[in-house]
Amino acid sequence: MRTASLELGPTADPVDRCRHCGEPCAGGAVRTLAGPFCCAGCESVFAILAAHDLDGFYACEVPPGVSQKHAEGRDRSRYAALDDPDVAARMVVYDDGRRARAMFSIPAIHCASCVWLLERLWRLDSGVFATEVDLLRRTIVVDYRPVATTPRLIAERLASLGYEPAITAEDGSAPPPAARRRLYLQLGVAGFAFGNMMLFSIPRYVNGAPLDAGFQRLFDGLNLLFALPVLLFSASDYFRNAWRACRARAMTLDVPIAMGLMALFGRSVIDIAAGRGEGFLDSFAGLVFFLLISRVFQQRMFERIAFDRTYRSFLPLTVRVERDGALTPVPLERVRAGDVVVVRAHEIVPADAVLLGAGGAVDYAFVTGEAAPVAVGGGERVRAGGRAAGSAMRLRVLRDVSHSDLARLWQNPVFARPKRRWLADVNARFGAWFTGGAVALAAAGAIVWWPDASAAASVATAVLIVACPCALTMSAPIALGTAAGLLGRAGLYLKDPAVTLDLSRIDTVAFDKTGTLTSAAERPAVETSGFAEDAWTLVQTLAAASAHPASRAIAAADHAGTAGQTQAASPTTAAEIRRPDRPLRPAPRATGVIDVVGQGICGSVSGTRVAIGTAAFVEAQTGAAPDGPEDAIFAAAGDARGWVRVFTQARPGIERAAAALSHAHDLVLLSGDHQGERSRWTRVFGPRMRFRQTPDDKLAFVRDARERGRRVLMVGDGLNDAGALAAADVGMAVSDDTACMAPACDAVIDGRRLASLPAFLAYARRARAVVIFCFAVSIGYNAIGLALALSGALTPLAAALLMPASSLTIVGLSSGAMRWSGRRMLPA
Amino acid sequence: MSVIVLLIVAGGMVAAGFLAAFAWAVQSGQFDDTCTPAVRVLLEERPHTTQEGIADVDLDS
Repeated sequence: MRTASLELGPTADPVDRCRHCGEPCAGGAVRTLAGPFCCAGCESVFAILAAHDLDGFYACEVPPGVSQKHAEGRDRSRYAALDDPDVAARMVVYDDGRRARAMFSIPAIHCASCVWLLERLWRLDSGVFATEVDLLRRTIVVDYRPVATTPRLIAERLASLGYEPAITAEDGSAPPPAARRRLYLQLGVAGFAFGNMMLFSIPRYVNGAPLDAGFQRLFDGLNLLFALPVLLFSASDYFRNAWRACRARAMTLDVPIAMGLMALFGRSVIDIAAGRGEGFLDSFAGLVFFLLISRVFQQRMFERIAFDRTYRSFLPLTVRVERDGALTPVPLERVRAGDVVVVRAHEIVPADAVLLGAGGAVDYAFVTGEAAPVAVGGGERVRAGGRAAGSAMRLRVLRDVSHSDLARLWQNPVFARPKRRWLADVNARFGAWFTGGAVALAAAGAIVWWPDASAAASVATAVLIVACPCALTMSAPIALGTAAGLLGRAGLYLKDPAVTLDLSRIDTVAFDKTGTLTSAAERPAVETSGFAEDAWTLVQTLAAASAHPASRAIAAADHAGTAGQTQAASPTTAAEIRRPDRPLRPAPRATGVIDVVGQGICGSVSGTRVAIGTAAFVEAQTGAAPDGPEDAIFAAAGDARGWVRVFTQARPGIERAAAALSHAHDLVLLSGDHQGERSRWTRVFGPRMRFRQTPDDKLAFVRDARERGRRVLMVGDGLNDAGALAAADVGMAVSDDTACMAPACDAVIDGRRLASLPAFLAYARRARAVVIFCFAVSIGYNAIGLALALSGALTPLAAALLMPASSLTIVGLSSGAMRWSGRRMLPA
Repeated sequence: MSVIVLLIVAGGMVAAGFLAAFAWAVQSGQFDDTCTPAVRVLLEERPHTTQEGIADVDLDS
């Protein structure tokens, strides 16, 4: 038996990179005078820019373009939805008839060149006055003349440049800038007060001639004056949070902070009123100032990594509905039961429906993960989320969109309940413990000093002041926020910085297979038992008549092995799946083709009987039992017999990554597919593989593992394993296209960076170590402060030195350590 | 000594002026995006390109 393994990796010359996007140029590359391009899409964007004198876009060192490889099949007509005023209203923020403003969210925005190009949109579209890009939030605001252009034209223009606006069926839910501005104002006021109060306090602290009594009163009064806005405005959120926590009987760390701030302010006012001293007002303002800095930090991180998509992002925006004999695009939510809709090839069926007319084929890859199309006869039911596999289908909608099966898949209770983050748990438990400890110590201090009532009171308040866990509350947001930001730069986007801590505690990693370990962008590899060249041609010709993914892989594969590997005549399968109209192979064509779903395909090619499918099917069709491995597909062409195995290609480096992970974690494979590839993954996963898993099976596995006390990281493509992603401690969706992110996950990982998962997990563990270390340091500071407080020696000067010192140490330590580790541990 | 009081008042007023300027800057949206302006200046316009498109901005034309 001759085994020809036809692996087609990115083997192109490393220097040959796309002029537009910098991707290596492999199959499908276009070469022009301007340089090589990885695909026709990139070339056309380059041509548009060159024609409009916008080639300054390429001025930077790295080709800045967005690869258009995956964009070919995307249906640009979906922007027709923007002609509907209801849909457009989600984008248009202002319109007075002469001038309008629309806001688009464009996930592809990533660099300075993007900003440069998008802000010169007026050169491409004369109806546009100006555009403004927000790099952090990846949005673009377009001012345009409504009579000259429309949101749809702008969206199509953006898409033609490779910046496809994300149009979700949801209303734009960008948080109002008011809250953000308020925080900056709070910080400004606190900083202003802090700076001035330090000036007024310094004369007290420096040794010299004693201060004139009148001046002392003046400075104290001014301090009080400046402290008031800090208390009432800058620190108000802390008091509100603490009050809310108290009412919910959850002792978060906000409670001791509010206690400490109140003790600081109250004690200072009393001291000043009684003429006993200057109080701790400068420490108070400094504390609030540092706390707010960490809040600003936290907020920026949240915005940088924020992503939130709902399941509706995967559904089409508009559906073609037959009304009065014509097809009209209708927004999804206005499609009602009873409407007749037309779904074209490769579009998603938006709602449960009944097929009208002759039969067709639907694949439920988005729902069940099984990519093989299922035959549907006329009058049969098609479930929402299915994708029309062959030709266009006419369907009568059975139920409104929100009631469909697909919607229900995401309405599973696991999605409704927000996940408990470990950090929140720790915060709550630690907060209670901390509050109790601080109050107990304050009481103990007061009792020890009791006979002297004023000393007792001052010791008790001093304890509450230094016990304020401000450094503690700063360390986690800053360390985790820095970590989440750096992880995002390396290709792992966290929904919330606190996910880092959950990642650090993972002990079980469950992988989905299709789309996770394998990539749709990689071409499937085909292994055969060895066919004679002419027999193989016959098999391929028959395979070309089928839409089944395995058939496509067979049809696209070269048999000749080494010579044909890189110069494959046909484009990648991924591209072909999107372009079914393109002939896979030239003549001859198979005739009399019978396609039996789930069994195989047979027909005649050039007068020879050919069959591909299960052993039983091939035997029934050709009369001879083929022989071969259990997991293979069998084929017979005339007298020639053999088998074929189709592997979807693993992502590069994924096996090494899995091996590295398996040292410290249990690895599990949960695949929706059949067993066909068991042997291939045994090396990595051993016996811990489960095949033919429905989304519910995956969910059940994850739940069961968690009940047994395992901490599970589920890595999947986010479509058919959304339930498992939501139920896992951390659900990580793999995305080859940052424009398409999964719902219900805690993190999104760039498919190309999946091989770095071990490094990411190690970095998360480092983040936890840094947080714990910072906790220890800040508790050390608190211990010093408590010793001073209990001995009655906490002077205003000591507080003014100790508190900022501890805050600054923690800020520097936590962000510095994470940056330093990030440089060493994360892939560039 | 009362000159110090005068200085404190003057200093406080100057500082308050800066605080007011900061508040104005925040409210007018200058802190809404602290990231993009930094990269906006990185790529410069090549000298021979002119901004004819700007003419479109004139609403009264």
